[in-house]
This record gives sequence, structure tokens and C-alpha cells, in this order.
Amino acid sequence: MVTVSMNVNGEKRTASVAPETTLLKLLRESFNLTGAKLGCDVGDCGACTVIVDGKLVNSCLMLAPQAEGREVLTIEGLATQDRLHPIQKVFEDKGSLQCGFCGPGVIMSAKALLDQNPNPSVQEIRDGLAGNLCRCTGYSKMIEAIQTIARERTA
Amino acid sequence: MRPFDFYAARDSSDAVALLAKHGPSVKVIAGGTDLLADLKFAPASHHPKVVVDISRADDLRGIRETDAGLRIGSLVTHTEIMESPIIRDLFPALVDAAHTIGAVQTRNLGTLGGNLVTAVPSVDSGPTLVALDAVVTIAGPDGRRQLPLAEFFVGPRKTALKPAELLVEITIPKENVGKPTHFLKFGLRKGQALALVNVAASFWVDWDSETFLNPRIALGAVAPKVIRAESAEKFLAGEEITTDAMAEAGRLASGDAKPISDMRASAQYRRDLIAVLTKRALEGAYELAQKKRKQS
Amino acid sequence: MATDTKTKTTALVDAEQLLRVPSAAPLVPFPVDVQVPDAARQTPAVGQRATRPDCRLHGLGQTKYIDDMYLPGMLFAKIKRAGVASARIISVDTSEAEMTPGVMAVVTGKDIPCNSFGPSLKDQPVLADERVFYAGDGVAAVAAVTEQIAADAIEKIKVEYEELTPVLDPLESLKLETPGVHAPSANIYGHKIIKKGDIEKGFAASDHIFEASFRTQMVEHVPLEPHSSLAQWDANGRLTVHSTLGRITLGRADIARTLGIPMSRIRVVATVVGGNFGGKNEITTEPVIALLSKKTGRPVKCTFTRPEEFYASTTRHPLIMDYKTGVTKDGKILARKIRLVLDGGAYCSWSETTLGKACILSAGPYQIDNLVAEAFVVYTNKTMTGAMRGFGAPQVCFAYESHMDDMAKALNIDPLEFRLKNVLSEGSLSPTSQTLHSVVVRESLLQAAQRFGWKPKTAPEAEGAFA
Repeated sequence: MVTVSMNVNGEKRTASVAPETTLLKLLRESFNLTGAKLGCDVGDCGACTVIVDGKLVNSCLMLAPQAEGREVLTIEGLATQDRLHPIQKVFEDKGSLQCGFCGPGVIMSAKALLDQNPNPSVQEIRDGLAGNLCRCTGYSKMIEAIQTIARERTA
Repeated sequence: MRPFDFYAARDSSDAVALLAKHGPSVKVIAGGTDLLADLKFAPASHHPKVVVDISRADDLRGIRETDAGLRIGSLVTHTEIMESPIIRDLFPALVDAAHTIGAVQTRNLGTLGGNLVTAVPSVDSGPTLVALDAVVTIAGPDGRRQLPLAEFFVGPRKTALKPAELLVEITIPKENVGKPTHFLKFGLRKGQALALVNVAASFWVDWDSETFLNPRIALGAVAPKVIRAESAEKFLAGEEITTDAMAEAGRLASGDAKPISDMRASAQYRRDLIAVLTKRALEGAYELAQKKRKQS
Repeated sequence: MATDTKTKTTALVDAEQLLRVPSAAPLVPFPVDVQVPDAARQTPAVGQRATRPDCRLHGLGQTKYIDDMYLPGMLFAKIKRAGVASARIISVDTSEAEMTPGVMAVVTGKDIPCNSFGPSLKDQPVLADERVFYAGDGVAAVAAVTEQIAADAIEKIKVEYEELTPVLDPLESLKLETPGVHAPSANIYGHKIIKKGDIEKGFAASDHIFEASFRTQMVEHVPLEPHSSLAQWDANGRLTVHSTLGRITLGRADIARTLGIPMSRIRVVATVVGGNFGGKNEITTEPVIALLSKKTGRPVKCTFTRPEEFYASTTRHPLIMDYKTGVTKDGKILARKIRLVLDGGAYCSWSETTLGKACILSAGPYQIDNLVAEAFVVYTNKTMTGAMRGFGAPQVCFAYESHMDDMAKALNIDPLEFRLKNVLSEGSLSPTSQTLHSVVVRESLLQAAQRFGWKPKTAPEAEGAFA
């Protein structure tokens, strides 16, 4: 067993886990943050997407000890007590999610995209979401939502 | 996943020491995009007792010009390659190649070293570097050694790494820094796709005679490892730069390849792709050469 | 075989692992009020802007799917899959698995009180006990304190098989002389025939007769959320199953049947599901985990891996579709003969409904007075084919529309015009002689053509109307 400590959504969290535990499992089972999902466990579907040290990553492809001392941002860290994050708000307004399983991953990817590129083209949005699979929506309302946020921010 | 012991290396020498100490049932983890995907569904016989984490070995990072040429640390991620001002300026083909790998998440984690060490026949970062005569530096218990990348690839998922050895950096030789190069990948999807065919074309232009100088064509996914299209290269050397010559090179490259038929495509389809993509890669490199000439 | 858990656990397994109490994570105060739909305001709904009430929680990452549920003392189950397409099970030895530290219970096919279920034909076992009919058939199951221990334990279960020759090609299976996959039952387990008018007369009056054969492949739904279920019993011997199951009443009936307990003792709770598309329309591991839970006295959860989603869950039927169509030289369809063969996999699942739908829709939205459409579904030793969005309609659509294009090209008639000459209209009779109303095929095609900027294609050089 190894003890791992990291900053998750602004709070220091610590757990004792087997070293082969993935960051995904750590978040879900030790920290009760079940927003990141297990969809494939091999980094293809993106349902496990979180942001580590400012970089968008598949948490199923990181080992918990590799995240030691790092800053981890999950879907649970976006909204505040009284306000949705703009991406969550616009996704809701547009109806961008259906079953919702891919949602946390897509929203993290959208955040990473907009943080880096405040006014992305459709192609850049597609590229930014290429690591997130969705079987329900066909992505069009996600793309619309991201375009809306970009427009509102740059307006 | 099945259990293993975990050690985080402080730097490359620490990593080599750990590999030597805990071998032979030991594996290296950097970005984890290949290793963990592999271990999760692999049989027990494949599973290592120890995993050595090199993700914090900072001496394996960095992109810089040295006396030897352009040095890229093995821990440099695909995203870092895409964002590096030096690489964007000198080798847009490396940026293009990195961009074809996986998606944002996997590019943020995946490293150039990891991509090369996994050594699948369709290795996306391989052809451009082979076309540029890249050399790899390997650190081991007996010290460091160098090897042309083309020889580093031995076969499908096999490299020249010996036990306890670590790939530390990749160097593009000084004489090739700035050499116009173009890379094209053809996959069944635009993202997160395996290549059916990869082509990198690289040549200097002899502006006086408008001929190909030191042409290199490297092909991926059409042989057990990255290969050079030697008959195409021989044909192009000294040949006048025309569309017809590029097309002819494409045809010759197609013959140099040894593609297989599998569930993704037939060997014939792959040969057809090589012919077309080689021509286009040559055109792309030429455009780049012309653009650079205008700028200088 | 009695297992001495006390000795095993103190010697080799962490106490914490044994109990598997989720780490005491601090309560995260619920951010942002959950949106509760006002029923009074939402009717009448037509014309109103309505946001999906679940979108709020999805966006917050607060929606709890089955795999997000962790109960104190919960065990994880894994299923051992046969790995052979057709075999007789000679013996199953679970002793090594049972002695593994952290393994709390093992079940095999013999432990299932009533080992058959299914949405129509009850031909599927919960766990294969005498025969294996496809490589994904479960032959044993293990509940352990961690998923990895369960995964390791199933590898220790030794099964002796007498391998049999599998039937993999549906056309082979269709032949009467091919041995029955589920012998003594025949391989053709569903048949439907629709006859209308007189096709011989229709073909005789035709200027051209076109024949073509089309095939579609097996498709997997790939819901982002893998199949998952969680079973637990209360002190009064009542079972609660949380499951990704879409059809909970049907599921409850099958769980009752297989466990041999009254439905009144079973509660099935379905939450928001992470994608179904037809693939979660019947039970999978629910009876198995119920038995494991009963044996251990602890909740048991089983979640499919992504590979299991591909080989051990239902898929879309591959179809082999043979079309013969008689037309006049100016493009009026006079007669059509269709034969469909559905690859019905190892078990029936939703094949009968799929068969019916495919057969009825196989003529396409076209006025065909002389028609014979005959469809068969056959057993093969492959992954179950069941419900998937469209239920047979997408496959035949691919066939009849490709067929229409091929015929239009051969007749040198614009494909749109060819269709407009033959589409159904108000009052047309369907293939099963139902009078159709609100028929808008013509209008839809014309509107679409206008929006797409369709230009008539009649000559081979005019390929690529959008070039």
C-alpha cells in the first residue's frame, strides 16, 4: 500500500491505496468523487477525463502515485454552492446531454479547450472533443453550446 | 489491474539503477497511455512485478538545439511537441505527426519516448524522425550509447533496448535541422485512429538545378517496422523536381513496401495509399521548402 | 465446500480490504439547487421550452449510475466466460478459486434454481451448466472483496470442455441438414411470411427483373455505461436489485423465475441509465449476483468490462437479404420477392420481434401490389443478437434503398424520380394490407431534394450531383 496526497478541487485529500490503483479508481472509491466514469479503462472513451496540473488527461491512464502532490480538478470542482459553471449552465440550456454518462468528461474537455482557446472554430472544437465519445447525442448540441459560450465571452 | 510495486525515479540515472535492481520483471511508466492500456487486459504472464515511474525525471524533458543538432528529451509529450516554438519553426512535420496521435488527453500524457519504445509498426512519430536520420541515446548500467532510430526499431513491439536500458533522448542531426519534411497519416478516422499507412518525405532542394537533394522517404504501418523507400529515394536523388517525378517516386515507394491484408484494409489498398500519400508528402515538403526560401 | 474465511483473511488479506468500507469521505454539500420540474407548468407541453430535468445533475457530475454505488461490505463479482463457441461442459472445478483469500463465494450453473430465461423463448441459461452455446457464455461466477481478486479467481476455475463444431454461418444454419445448435430444437427458430397479390403474374408482366443480395454486420450498442447491477437481501428475505436494466418488470419476472422466488419478494430499482439503445432490455448477471449475495450475506455488484460489452451482451442482428424486383421499363415496380435470413446468435433474446419488424418493413415505403417477403431467424454459436434501435428496420432499409439506387442506375432513371414513381401515398395498403394514413413519403422526399439542391441524375457522366 502507498499513501498518496494531492490537491483535489482545492482541498488536500489523502488515501492509502495499492500502487497499481489508477487515479480514476482513487477519485471514485477513495474520495467519493464519482463524476469521472469508467467507460473503457484504456483511455479510448474519455469518460474518465479530469484536469491534472492544468492538463486534460484520462484518469484511467494515470497511476494514483503519479498524481502525488499534484492539482487535480474534477467535474465536482466546477460549480460553486450557488452557481453553475458557464459550461454546465449552457449545456443545460441547450440540452447537450442525454444519458449524461459522457457529460463530466466532455465538460472537462470543453473547459480545457476554452481555457486555452477562447474562440475556437468548429474544427478546433471537434479536435478538442475528439477524446470524448458520446453515443447518445451526436455531439452537435455540445458544439453549439461551446460556440455559444465562446460568443458570450468574447462579446 | 494486477498488483505491482511502484518506484518513482528522481532522474534518468536513478531510473536505470531501479531498472537494474528490480529486473527482469520490471516495466517503465511515463505517460502510461500504452503501458496501462496494455496491462489491464493482458495475461498474468505479461504482468511486471515492479513498475518504475519516470514521469518526474526532469532531465528527460526539454527541446533544445545543441552542437549535435536538435535534441528532444524522451519524456517530451506530444502536446509539448505541438506547442514548441522551435519544432513548429523547424519541423512542422513533427507537429503534424504528434497531432495525429490519439486525442488531447492522450497527447498530454503520451511521450515521444514512449511512442517510439512501444514500437508498433504504425508508430506515428517514427517515419518523420527516420526520414530525418534521427539518432536515439540510450542510458544503461554500462553508460550511454547511441543508435540510429531506424536500427532502434527491430520489429513489431521490439526495440534494441537491452535489460535495464532507458531511452533518454532523440536527436535530429545538425545537418538535417530545418530540412523540409512533410508527414501524412491515413487512418479510418480522423481522431484516435491507427494508421493504415504513414508516410514522411524529406529533402533539400538544390535551387540551382531544381533537383532533389538527399531525399528520404520513410513508410510506417506497411512493414514489421518503419522502413525507408529505398528505390524511390534512389530515383529521386538528383532528379528534377516535377509532379511526374513525385508520382513516380510514389509508385516506387509502393513497391518498396511490404503491407499485409488485415481487417482494416487489404495489402493492395495500402499499396495504393502509399503511392498517393508519398506523392502528396513530397509535394508538401516542396511547398515548405519554397515557403522557407521566400522567408529567408 | 466450507471455506475458512477467518484463517485466510488474517493471514493474507488486509482487514480493510475484507470489510471494504468506503473511506469516510467528508460530505460534499450539494452545490446548486436541483431543478424540480413543475408539473402544472409543463402541461400542455407542446410549444413550451422544456429543459431536461436530469441535465442539471448530469452537468454537475452528481447523477448516480449503478457503478457509482458503493455500499458498506459490498463485494465485486466477475463472471468466467467460456471462451469456446460450442461445447459440452464435462466438469467445473472451483476449489482453487474458493480457497483464494478474499473470495467470499462461488456459483456455477448447477446452483441456479431454474436455469433458463428470455424475453420470449426461455432458451438462455443464467450460467451455462451442461452446454456452452457461444464464447461469452458464463460458466461460473465469483464474489470477492476487490474486483481484481475476483478477476484472478475466475482464472483459477478449471473447466473441462468437450469442444463441438460450432455453426457460425447463418446460411449454413438455415440448411435443414445442419445439426441443431440447440438440438433437438431446429436451427430455424422463427419464421414469418407475407404474401400479397400474385408475384408470378407481376414478374411475368415486368420488363426487367433485378436481383441483388445484401448483407449487414453484427453491431454492438457501445453504451458509454457498461452493464452493471447490484444485489442485496434484507432481513425479511426480500431481494433488491439495482440495475442498468431497461425493462424492469420483465427483468423482475425473469429474476423471480430463475431464482424460484415470488415476484413479490423482488424489488428492481432502475436509475438513470448511461445509454441503452436496446442492449439493456433483458437481465444479464442479476440472478447470479443475487445468489452470491445470498451466500455471503453482503451486497454484490457486477459491472461489465468494455470487452464483455462486445462479446457477452446482445448485439444487432446481421441480416442476409435477397431481393428480386420486377419493374416496367419506365420504372414502375410490379413485383418483389424478398428472403431475409437473420443471424439469431446463441439465444433468442428479441429475435422474434426483430424478425417480424424486418419482414414487414422489408418492402420499403413503396407501393408493391405483388409481394412475397419471407424471413427466417436461425441459431448460430455466436453472441446473442437482440434489440437495437430500429429492430430490423435499419438493415432492410440499407437493402431496399441500395436496391432502388442500383435499379435506377440500370434503368437510367433519376433515383429520386424512380422513388417518387413508387412511393406509398394516402390510403395505400401496407405489405400486410393495412390501410395507411398520414403518408408523407412523397412530400418528405421533395422537401429534402429541394433543401439538398438535388439535381436529376440520369447519365453516368452526371455522377456527383454536388461536384
